[in-house]
Amino acid sequence: MSDNEYIIETTDLSKSYGPHVALENLNLKVRKGATGLLGPNGAGKSTFLKTILGLIQATSGEGTVLGHDIRTEGAAIRSRIGYMPEYDALNPDMEAIYQVKYSGELLGMNPVVAMSRAHEVLQYVGLGEQRYRNIGSFSTGMKQATKLACSIIHDPELIIADEPSNGLDATAREFMISTLQNMVNNGNRSVMMASHLMDDVERVCDQMVLLHKGKLAAQGRIEDLKDIDREIEIHVWGNASKLEEKMTSIGLEVRREGRIMRVLHEDEDTTTKILSCAAEVGSQIRRMHEYEASLEDLFIVIMENLGYEVKTSEDLLRGPVQSRQVDAPSHMGGGS
Amino acid sequence: MSEDNIESVDSVTDEKSFSENAPVTGQGRMDAAWGSRDGDESATAQVSSNQASVGYVFEQIYKPWNGTLNPRWMRNWAILRHHVLGIFRKGHRPWGLPTKLFMVLVFIASLGDVGLTLLSALIGSPELHSMWGVNRDNLYGHVFGFFPRNMLYYPILAALLVGGIISEDRYHGTSAMYFSRPISRFDYVMMKYISVAIIQAFVVLLTLMIYYFVEIIAMGRGWAWIIDTFPLFLAAFIGGIILVITYTSIGLGLSSVSRGKFFPGIGLVAIVLGSKTLAVLVSNLFERDIMYLLSPYDCLAHVGQALVGTQTTYDQYSWTWSFASLVLMNGFFLYILSSRVASMEVTRE
Repeated sequence: MSDNEYIIETTDLSKSYGPHVALENLNLKVRKGATGLLGPNGAGKSTFLKTILGLIQATSGEGTVLGHDIRTEGAAIRSRIGYMPEYDALNPDMEAIYQVKYSGELLGMNPVVAMSRAHEVLQYVGLGEQRYRNIGSFSTGMKQATKLACSIIHDPELIIADEPSNGLDATAREFMISTLQNMVNNGNRSVMMASHLMDDVERVCDQMVLLHKGKLAAQGRIEDLKDIDREIEIHVWGNASKLEEKMTSIGLEVRREGRIMRVLHEDEDTTTKILSCAAEVGSQIRRMHEYEASLEDLFIVIMENLGYEVKTSEDLLRGPVQSRQVDAPSHMGGGS
Repeated sequence: MSEDNIESVDSVTDEKSFSENAPVTGQGRMDAAWGSRDGDESATAQVSSNQASVGYVFEQIYKPWNGTLNPRWMRNWAILRHHVLGIFRKGHRPWGLPTKLFMVLVFIASLGDVGLTLLSALIGSPELHSMWGVNRDNLYGHVFGFFPRNMLYYPILAALLVGGIISEDRYHGTSAMYFSRPISRFDYVMMKYISVAIIQAFVVLLTLMIYYFVEIIAMGRGWAWIIDTFPLFLAAFIGGIILVITYTSIGLGLSSVSRGKFFPGIGLVAIVLGSKTLAVLVSNLFERDIMYLLSPYDCLAHVGQALVGTQTTYDQYSWTWSFASLVLMNGFFLYILSSRVASMEVTRE
């Protein structure tokens, strides 16, 4: 599969449970690489995962995963992907090595090959020295690592990790995130990571899919999407009001809280314009840095301001005024 | 360290003395550390060499795997091996020690008639042999006898086996491991069912086979005897299969609605023994045998009596009623099993 091909592609994919619509007309195109699957509880993430795993039948629409039809080739899809569930999925009375080996055998691996591969993947996830310990004696981080080992034993092209860093302490979380990064960067594998932890998604993934109430709220490269809230923050000394007026008069969009102002980053000349204005009105710019929205900011912006229809990067970039009003006090023109 | 520095340090060490009133400057310790004469003269620092052996450095390297995955039968075989070999070997399903011990005890106890057949053959006593050797009644009794086999052995063994077979997958979340792989729910249920049935058959049917073949060998039976008795053996064997299937269906059905192993186990024993007790009470009080149709054991015994051809103890209705009741019981619990397994989740339970 070339890098430009889509690993997951859906067309008008819908899933209903009686009158409740869990997924509504999802049109998704996920490229090779790391993709974050975001959305609040009840957004349809689990239903989406089950649908693309071929475990439940879509009510309408089409979809492919790694080129396999999700309606008719569920078993083939599950052979080629590795699924790491969010919740406990390990037998606490088994030793880690045998649990991982069994997970390989369930995929159709020869027992001898599965055992050999289990040693390799447990080594990879940092459990080389603990592989003969009962899983019941493992910490949460070690259990998560064992689940990851189970999911990658057959070297899948796509790993679906459901909340991989859930409940982990800082060290274990760091290791899990770096392992997923390593799989993407060095292993050249694709990862779809469902998580509530925006930082984790931001570190591992370069693309994201945002679901809300069963609909696609946004999809695209995280970097592109984050541009909707890109601003330059300045700390002004003297004549702040004059500077604000000046900048506004030349068309810059300014938000101000005392001596701190945020100016919408429109193009490469924005910095020059700010400095020129400051020179004209006699203000000192004591500090200037670019403010980039976190994924969490982005999440809130999209959820609260841009509605729940399909948004590409371009769509989102067209409406930055609304988006920036989210965290601005009302006297600055903020509020939605 | 230069020679000058060493000399100055030495001189400080030699000349200074510390009384109890001396200010605490830390200098004394410095002198002790640097001012020893041994070694300082050569102006070389004494440092401890690193005695640590080469440590283990974790290096995370992703190793790809280019093997081929085997088809469906191999995956199903893996489930079967996992459960059946778990009784005998480490590295497969971890059956509890009580289950393993009880199975060994029941296996040995089920071979009681084999031992007595051997004994009667060794002694050469026809009276003893007529009591314990292979005949119509004893073949029936090996599989369907109530006490102790269907009171203390088989239902309890079935209860221990089926207790956690599905419920623990639900409890531990290991069902996700099956269903996120190319395992269909039918294959999952089928292989679990066959696994439990095989382990029970190991006790019920293997001991029956041993019993029959020990009789042939110990008593030196010829073809005429074999031709004469083989249909009886076959009937008992088929009856044993029906018994194993029934106990497995009820047990797995109960296991599928539970999250622990206690309820399915105790439920199976309660259904088998409770319904039997109730039927006996109703029969004794009201002289009506109809309640036996609700008792799995009595239905099995009735069908077994018809198959093997022993004298029936259920006179008020035909054995076909018992057979129909067995079919309904199996169907009911298999329906529960299939519907519950169909609703088992992958993403969360």
